[in-house]
Amino acid sequence: MAVQTFLFASLIFFSSSIESNHGATEVSLFTNLENSLEVTAKPTRVGVVVLEAGKDMVRITWMLKSSAKVNDDASFKTVEVKLCYAPISQVDRPWRKTHNELSRDRSCPHKIVSKPYDKIPQSLNWTIDRETPTGTYFVRVYGIGVNGQEVAYGQSSDAEKTTNLFSVEGISGRHTSLDIASICFSVFSFGTLLVFLVKEKRKANLQQRK
Amino acid sequence: MASNEEGSIGTSMHGVTAREQVYSFSVDASSQTLQSDDPTAKFGLPVDSEHRAKVFKPLSFAKPHMRAFHLGWISFFTCFISTFAAAPLVPIIRDNLDLTKTDVGNAGVASVSGAIFSRLAMGAVCDLLGARYGTAFSLMLTAPTVFSMSFVTGPVGYLAVRFMIGFCLATFVSCQYWTSVMFNGKIIGLVNGCAGGWGDMGGGVTQLLMPMVFQVIRLAGATPFMAWRIAFFIPGFLQVVVGVLVLTLGQDLPDGNLSTLQKSGQVSKDKFSKVFWFAVKNYRTWILFVLYGFSMGIELTINNVISGYFFDRFNLKLQTAGIVAASFGMANFFARPFGGYASDLAARLFGMRGRLWILWIFQTVGALFCIWLGRASSLPIAILAMMLFSVGTQAACGALFGVAPFVSRRSLGLISGLTGAGGNFGSGLTQLLFFSTSKFSTADGLSLMGAMAALCTVPVAFIHFPQWGSMFLRPSSDGERSKEEYYYSSEWTEEEKRQGLHEGSIKFAENSRSERSRKVALADFPTPETGTPTHV
Repeated sequence: MAVQTFLFASLIFFSSSIESNHGATEVSLFTNLENSLEVTAKPTRVGVVVLEAGKDMVRITWMLKSSAKVNDDASFKTVEVKLCYAPISQVDRPWRKTHNELSRDRSCPHKIVSKPYDKIPQSLNWTIDRETPTGTYFVRVYGIGVNGQEVAYGQSSDAEKTTNLFSVEGISGRHTSLDIASICFSVFSFGTLLVFLVKEKRKANLQQRK
Repeated sequence: MASNEEGSIGTSMHGVTAREQVYSFSVDASSQTLQSDDPTAKFGLPVDSEHRAKVFKPLSFAKPHMRAFHLGWISFFTCFISTFAAAPLVPIIRDNLDLTKTDVGNAGVASVSGAIFSRLAMGAVCDLLGARYGTAFSLMLTAPTVFSMSFVTGPVGYLAVRFMIGFCLATFVSCQYWTSVMFNGKIIGLVNGCAGGWGDMGGGVTQLLMPMVFQVIRLAGATPFMAWRIAFFIPGFLQVVVGVLVLTLGQDLPDGNLSTLQKSGQVSKDKFSKVFWFAVKNYRTWILFVLYGFSMGIELTINNVISGYFFDRFNLKLQTAGIVAASFGMANFFARPFGGYASDLAARLFGMRGRLWILWIFQTVGALFCIWLGRASSLPIAILAMMLFSVGTQAACGALFGVAPFVSRRSLGLISGLTGAGGNFGSGLTQLLFFSTSKFSTADGLSLMGAMAALCTVPVAFIHFPQWGSMFLRPSSDGERSKEEYYYSSEWTEEEKRQGLHEGSIKFAENSRSERSRKVALADFPTPETGTPTHV
């Protein structure tokens, strides 16, 4: 009982020292960001409906919008390119919910790359990560300021996230070796039970005859 | 008794030493000493007239009582690990199989629904074939379903496999049945509480074990979507190993294995239809069904949703959420035995009425803390609420199985089965109502579930035993109906009583006098030892 009390107390202590997101003095909101980047994301294989994770490539480009004011990009030093879920992949999946508070937003969990910002247009041929789940996506680029917070963004889709989306098919995670091992273990389980039943029945019949 | 000529005058030794147990109904001298040809009938612990152990030594492995206890709870523990193995890995699985919240919720419902039927079947299997086979079937026939997680590719397959794995929760019934036939009524609350609690711990251990195994497999080089499938081989393999141990080391009854005893005529085979009828006819069975649905039922639901809840709401890492979720299940180690012990203690002071009050108090307190858990918005408060909730609910489970063995002697297995099934039914119902739709957030679902549980605990006030009373009513004052023998022999027809088939129930009735409150027990029946001299 003493051990359990100690474990319980240490759990409470441990959990109260887990950081909650009260560290930032100012909360970064998506609606406060400037849409000053122009981003495109196009699959390299032409005429393909569903891309394969780990195999297909997407060509991503980003640059300052021509309509932006001259010094708009002075504030950001690095860019973060992220893979985001389209609304159709968020339906009935509250763990992918979009949130205005960027620290609580779960719609862009997959980081593609983080690069220092040159003032020139940049591009990247990205092979879709093998661990990318099945879904429909678009690409968003955040401009990160000196203090590590987002100041601007751009995305390959429109504001409603309905255009220029691409679908990815994740890997299945299955393998023939697994299937075979599974069947072998199952047969072993059944077989052992059967052997015991037969043995015991024989023993009981022998006893009865005695 | 080789030279026994039944019935001839002068051969019966009954009554010579004046230390023999005196029964209200006359019994044959030959049936008194159950000497079995089975060489396993030797006892390492003090036993009562039914050869059930009178003391509980958790650290011992004495044949057959303590061995049955350990094999029973370990089987049940393993099955809990398998049934809830998916829960801590859901964040990975939902991405691999492209599941929605509805898919995840439905699979959770399915994981506990299969056991509704298998627990009923197990009750009958135990009554008719013995606890050993029941346990072994459950473990070894469901192990292939655990391995078959490697074949799953979408929500339908996932649901089907979780449904089939869930069948193994029937080991709960065989475990409780096994301990109920091996241990005396005075300590049955504590023993059942330990067996049930340590088994239920599996639901907590799995939340720690599976993420750890997953991590190790990932470090070995597998992708996440393959690693979780490989991780499932661990619980499957454990099931096979424990199944073999049960078959080789276990024994059905204190005097031997059921088939041996049945063949030598010492234990009569009962008819399933009779066993079933007397279980179903007894209204107390159904009240226990509902009660267990809202103690064990909500515990099973929490095992499925709590890890994901902490992962999503408080942004914890997979392993951290697993640790927090595990604490819920691990509390079973002391909480459920504590419930059983409290029930036994209450019985010593107030008899069965004390047991019923303890049950109501624990279950209601647990439900109230569940409501608080849903309301908590900071992590430390949520953990505190969760721990208090776990202790209350799990103690209630232990207390309930301090009452269940007394509801019937003839249909003990089936009643354990029906009550156990109630647990799963409650879990399926609460998951379906509160955690399978996007209508409520998980937090609101938790609070609503707690409110429903508090409400559905009220029926315990209606459980009444004529010989012992109920929460608000005294025992019957009628001379006939206030005897334990009347209650337990009413499960047998006159014809069966004439054949003497009810003798086991009479012995049980004698031993169950302990459920009278202390005041009443001291008032009547001086024990033979004090009443008569040792020498004639």
